Formats: sequence, structure tokens, C-alpha cells
Amino acid sequence: MQLKKKQILTSTLAFASAVLLAAPIFSAPNYFEDDDAEEEPDTYLAVTGGDIYTGTGEVLRGATLLSKNGKIEEIGYNLYLPKDTEMLDAKGMRVYPGLVALSATTRLSQGTFAAGLDFHEFKPHDENEGICGDCGKDLEVIVPPALDPGEYSTEHIAVEGLKSDFDDSYDPYNGFLVMALGNGITTVQQSSTAIKLLRGRIDGVTMSDKTLTSFSWSGSNPAGKADLRDKFRAGNGYLVDYRRWEELVKKDKELKEPSKKGIDSRVLSVLEGRTMAKFNSNDAGDLLGIARLAQTNKFRPVIGGCVEGWIVAEELGRAGAYAIITPRTRLDRTENLAHETGSSIENAAILHKAGVQVAVVPANTSIDMGGTSGRDLLHLPIEAGFAVRGGLSDKAALEAITIVPARLLGIDHRVGTLEVGKDADLVLTDGDILHYQTFVQYTVVGGEQVYDKEEEVFYAHIRPRAEVAVDAGEEVAQKAPAAEDAE
Amino acid sequence: MKMKNILIGVSCALSLQLAAPASTNGGTPDLFAVRVGSAETITQGTIPHAVILIEHGKIVMIGQDLEIERGVPVFDRPDWVAIPGFVNCYSRAGMSSRGSSGTTPSVMASTELYPTEPIYSDLLDLGVTTLGLYPPGNGIPGQAVAIRTRGDSAAEMILDDGVYLKMLMRSNASSKKMIRAAFGKADKHGEDVEKAREKWEKDVEKWEKDEKKRKDKEKKDKEDGKAVADKDDEDKGPGDFVEPTPDGTASAFLGLRRKNLSAMISIRKAGDYLHLVDALGKEDFDWCLRVPLRTDIDLYEVKDQLGADNRKVILEPRLTLMAWTMRERNIPDELSGAGANVVFVPNGDDLESHKMWRFHVGHVVKRGMDYQAALRGMTLGPAEVLGLDERLGSLDAGKDANILFFSGDPLEAASQLEMVMIDGNFVSDEVVR
Repeated sequence: MQLKKKQILTSTLAFASAVLLAAPIFSAPNYFEDDDAEEEPDTYLAVTGGDIYTGTGEVLRGATLLSKNGKIEEIGYNLYLPKDTEMLDAKGMRVYPGLVALSATTRLSQGTFAAGLDFHEFKPHDENEGICGDCGKDLEVIVPPALDPGEYSTEHIAVEGLKSDFDDSYDPYNGFLVMALGNGITTVQQSSTAIKLLRGRIDGVTMSDKTLTSFSWSGSNPAGKADLRDKFRAGNGYLVDYRRWEELVKKDKELKEPSKKGIDSRVLSVLEGRTMAKFNSNDAGDLLGIARLAQTNKFRPVIGGCVEGWIVAEELGRAGAYAIITPRTRLDRTENLAHETGSSIENAAILHKAGVQVAVVPANTSIDMGGTSGRDLLHLPIEAGFAVRGGLSDKAALEAITIVPARLLGIDHRVGTLEVGKDADLVLTDGDILHYQTFVQYTVVGGEQVYDKEEEVFYAHIRPRAEVAVDAGEEVAQKAPAAEDAE
Repeated sequence: MKMKNILIGVSCALSLQLAAPASTNGGTPDLFAVRVGSAETITQGTIPHAVILIEHGKIVMIGQDLEIERGVPVFDRPDWVAIPGFVNCYSRAGMSSRGSSGTTPSVMASTELYPTEPIYSDLLDLGVTTLGLYPPGNGIPGQAVAIRTRGDSAAEMILDDGVYLKMLMRSNASSKKMIRAAFGKADKHGEDVEKAREKWEKDVEKWEKDEKKRKDKEKKDKEDGKAVADKDDEDKGPGDFVEPTPDGTASAFLGLRRKNLSAMISIRKAGDYLHLVDALGKEDFDWCLRVPLRTDIDLYEVKDQLGADNRKVILEPRLTLMAWTMRERNIPDELSGAGANVVFVPNGDDLESHKMWRFHVGHVVKRGMDYQAALRGMTLGPAEVLGLDERLGSLDAGKDANILFFSGDPLEAASQLEMVMIDGNFVSDEVVR
């Protein structure tokens, strides 16, 4: 007995000393780690049983999409779901990539008040009581944000990630944001910045900055056209000189770098492929001019408006143009002209057929009920539906509000389609997203469910979701038929 | 039994003074007791049949049915309800200056205090015994002062100066930069002190070397029989190290870090809170939030964060609407329920708003807020904001005898404020007579 006790004691001591010896070895790496380095556990979300429209042409019926830490980990059938995976039942629903809205109102990210707007908190006892419901006691004026465009240059990205002024003024709780999410929009363009509509969070808002450079090209300003043509010619000339110098300087180190003097930096950024050139034009003649300028100078133009694009579609296609169109726009033909003029409901279809990448925006990119109801930003998919009415395929119409605008914003590697590795930004609908009766039931941004129709005040009362009725009779088999083309 | 003994002991000790019950303060004696129907102590709940013993402006003892030594005057008011004097920690009452929008944390609101302003005695009549007065302006306008609402001079009124630093935070880049820059100045001061110390150390070293050389020379001169140099111009050396004085901003923000000073940060919506937390980063100091309750404010979005931190949140007793709807929200109740420390201010700075204050709080209680938490929000809560919770805000032994006497539930509209006591003095001598 005595002996046994002693044995235990010795073995305990041995163990203790072993631990003591081992301790410094194990703890050593801690010295090199940051205090924050504690690893967060992986978060998973599985969207199960829905018909997944990937946006690349495929439809996976009754499939599962698994998101890991905000990125799409896997799409398919009979997936292994890790422990603690959050489940979102999409049975009977369609799953689409989150929509991308171009030139959207800054209300989406700033809430009710636009950035930089002076804002007063009224004295409660003053006569303004009714206006703001006596918001406060003292006159407090908002400090206007310093909008210094040069502040966040691309050099910062490597160090602290991409940031823009929108990061510091983003309101992740505002109602416009919730309404946009409730209509399937998960990414928006705010001035020259692309931001993700995060809810309840302010980190990681900005996705890209300054991807489009605006130029003017108008038949009523021939001097301007000639000037722009010269600038592009000079820009290309400089690039040729520069490339030649790059070769020659390897042999002759004394050789001087060609001067950038007189070269338009905006033009250069387009020719070097750092940004895309954006024009706004509806006139067929101007569109033709832009197409030729682009072909001559070897860049791909982005054309907003493009109402008469269908007339010169072939030329725009050859120039590799992008068109940002509003299919419902009406423009009467000019009767005294012999050639074709005016708008056509087939505009999107014809442009797409000619090889133009078509993006769709609604007539009004604000969120507003005053006179624009049915044509504001919340009707982005409906607007794309009008392109379908004019002959565009469902697939191209979906692309026009997802991957094509994502390309224009330089974020197509992260959003726009449902593919492994991309951001888990999804929209779950109760039908075809382009159909006017369809409601968004859930929205997921960055692998987090941020919208549930039944939980928000806006649409919960319209055709409430009958949770039990869905597929009560017809069990959707987990093993669905193989993927098929959406077209 | 024990209580009674103590009481007798205290009374005996004071019996000398009792011999001449002085009436220096408008007829209120120096030592007396008040027997009331009940007392809302804030810290120990409701005491029925409470007796409060008061001496020299302080509460000496409070308890149920305490026996009072013979000879101690007792004011018997079985219908009254006693509660601590109201504290409004966020006010500009009686002040009129306009501020700027810069960073001026060294501005003291106490410099614009006019003791003769009639509003202070009017507020006292309404039961507000303590005020926190803040400096005007945007950005970081300066520091607040805590005053009693009675006194003929600033010195008499001021309880404590520099009670909190006011800041405004908005969701924008410049607001966040402003806060970071201010803490940056505190960092810079730390570096300056380091540099100055290094320079001083070098100076000392150099002086010691010179001194040694001089002494050697002196010694040599003496040996050589030369005349000793005049001692009048002897170098006294660099002396002790003196820290460079920080400028206003650095000193205020060092004060925050050293916790000599707290901050009150005004925000406008839930999103501002996230940006504030982002801007503060790892800075650790004592801060509370001021949020004007706009009709459609979305503050409920961050209630869990505020509750988890037990954050002091200063707001009006007001029901609001859920943003984008006509649904009623009771934000004070929601925050309090989540664990935040709700502190009330009247809906406005005018007399009428102070008069309606308790009714507005009553309305919030009617719609669900905890009664005790609501009373706390008018007394101990604001006293904590002012850093005066050791002295004010509850009916406890040792605290200032700032007591209100109501004819019933203080939040009930039909109840009358029968009497106000500040620092142990009845404001009107009606009771004494």
C-alpha cells in the first residue's frame, strides 16, 4: 500500500516535471503572436434544398450551398455539413446571386441624411418641434466629412485593406439599406466606390474604388470630340514610347524615360487598363463615334443610356462595349430623318446578340415613392424583366443585374455569380426573380442572413410565407436531376 | 437593537449641540429627523415607515421605525414619500454662450456660471437639487461642472469641476479622425516627456563632468598656490527633472487615460455607436453615451452591446417609433432590460420640461420600464455620470441630505411635491413652522 502510494507520487512528480519542462517549449510561439491572434471559430451557413441559379447558366435543383466564413465553400448535393452549421431551408425557393445596383443613391449607405449635409438637432422647445420630434436639446451641427479624393490611394490597400470615405460614414442599420436587401440588392455603386450592403457591421464595406472614369462625347461639341481624340492619340503615343524605352533602358541605362508632360492622366489610366472609360450617350451617331474612338485606341468603352444602341449594335459589339441601359426608356423617333432613330424595347436583346455586355439600371436609382414608384432602385429586377419582354434571354437579363455590373465595378472576382470561392451573397426568392410577383424571402450577405421578409416591416403583410404549406405534398428529393442550362 | 444603541450613541454625542438647536439655515435645525410614509432609497429599495435622521446637511441614518432620542426634533409626515433630490446631469440651464466646432477640451463650463440666474432656484423648487452643466459647441467643446441649485456665489454652488469631457461623434471620417488625433496628442506628449528626460539626463551627465573638471582644476590651482576662482558664478546644475506641461488637449486626454476624467460622447443613431467603437479602438477609459431620442431613432439595434458593457446612456424619457413605421418603441425600457444604465434628462432645458420630467418618466414606466430603474435614472444614475455617486443620488447614511417629499408616488401625476430639502435645509420653512 505504502509502496503504491509512493509510486503514484513519483509518477505524478515525473509527469509534473515533464509538463514543466515542456511548458516553455509549447508556450514559446506565443511570444511571437499578437494578442488578437486568437483564432475565431469557422462559421458555416448551409442553404438547403433550393433551386440554385448560379448565374453562370447552370441550375442545380434542390441543391445545397455551403458558406464558410462568408465565402462559398461548396455547391452541390449530399454535402458534408460541419457541426454547428447554421441552416437556412430554401425548399421550394430559388437561390440567386445577390444583385449589383449601379449608380445607386448614397442614402443606401448613409441612411436618411446624405453625407456632408448639415444637420441640426433642434431645441425641443423651439417651433421646429414638430419637424424632428424635438430631437435634442442643443444645436449640434454635424461636422462635414472631409471628402479628400486623394486620401485613400491604392497604395493603402496592401497595408490596411481597401478603404473609402464610405467606410467611416456607413450606417449599417438604415431602412433604405434594409429595403434594398429586401429587393435582392447586396452590392451597390456609391459615386465611384463599390460597397457591400453589410447589416449591423461596418468593417469591410468598401469593395473597390474608382473603377470608372467619365468622359464626354457629344455631337453638339465637335471641338470636345476632336480634343478627346487627340488626347487618346497622345496617350497611346506615350505608351508606345514608354514600352520602347523599357526595352532600350536594359541596354543603355542612361536613356531618359519619356516625358508624361501633356499626357492626360485620366486617358492614360484607361489605356493602361487601370480604370474603364465611361460615356453617357443615347444618340446613334455619337455611339458610333465612341465605338470608333474605342476601336482606334484599343479600349472597351462603357456607355450609359445607349437608347439608340440597337441601331449601331454591330459596331458597339465590335468595339467590345458595355452598355448600361434602362429598357423602359422611351424616345420617339425623329420623323424628318431617313435612318432609324428612337428607342426600341428590343434594345437590350439586339445589343446582347451583337456581343455588347448589357447591364441594366432602373430609370431612377434612388429609393423613392414620390412619382417614381415602380421605376426606382427597388424595381431593378423588374427593369431587367422588361429587357426579357424585348427578347433578351432570362440568363442575360440576370447577368445584366449581377455579373456585368460587377465587372464594371471591378468586383466580378467576388460577386455576381454563385461560384466556389466567391462571397456568399445570395438572394432566396419564391419564384423567378424577374417576375413582378416574386418576393425576396431571405437575403444572405457574406454568409450571414441579413433579411427575412417575415421579420421586417416592409413586406411581411403581403402574401405571408406559409412555412408549413411549402412542399407539404411534394417532397423535393435530395437527389435532384443533374444541372441543366437555364436558357 | 443594535441600531437603536447606535442611534442613542450618536444622539448623545450630539447632545451638546442640541442644547442650542441653531437655526442658521432658514429655520431648519442642525439635527432633526423626518418620519415619512415610505422612502425610495434607490440603493436599498423602498423602506416603509422610514425615519431619516439628518445632521449638518448629511443623512446620518435611515431605517424603518427608528426610535429617535428625546429632544431631537421630529417632523412627522406619515403621508409623505421621500426620494433623493433629482439630478440633471446634462443641462445648459442659465447659460447662454455659443461654442465653436473645434477641439477645445480645456474649456470649462464653470467659467460661464452666473449664480444670480433665477432659473436655479426655480429648478430647486421643482426638485432638481443638482445640475451638470456642459460647455456648448461641436467637436470636443470642453468639460462640464456639477453644481447645487442653491448658493449666492459660484464657489458656493460648485460641487465639482471638470466632471466630464463632452464630445460629439458622428458617422464620418472627420469625426473619427478628431478623436484619434486628440489621443494622438496625448501620445505625442508622452514622447515629448521621454525626449525631455533624455535631454535632462544628458545635461546632468555633462554637468557632472564639468563639475569634476572644475574641481580638479580648483584643486590643482590650490596646489599651485594660485588664487581660487570667484565662487559667485558657480553653476548650480540642471536641477530636478521637470515634466513639460501638456497642452489642453493632451492633458484632457491623458486625464481620460489615467481615469481622472470621464467622457460623455453624444451620438445620433445606432450606426454612430459602431463608428465610435471603431474610432476608440483599444483606448480604455470611462465614457457614457448621450443620445437625443429622435422620434424614429434606431438605438434599439445596439441595445445588446450597450447592455453587455453596462453602458451609461443619457436620454429623454420618451416613447419613440420604430424607424419606418408607426410602431411604438420604449427605448429606455429596452436598454434598461438589456442591462444598460439608463440615465434620464428632461425633454428640454426649460422650466416646463423640468416640471414635466417625472411625468414623462412615469409614462415610460407605464409602458413597461422597471420602476426602480426609472427612479434611479433621475437620481443615482446621473450622480454617477457626474462622479458624485459617493455623495448624492440615494438615501443612505453619509450622503448629502438632498431629499424630495411627495404626497404619494413621485411619478404619479396627482402627487404633489410637498417639500424640497437641499443639504439638510428645507427650501421653504413651512415645515419648520
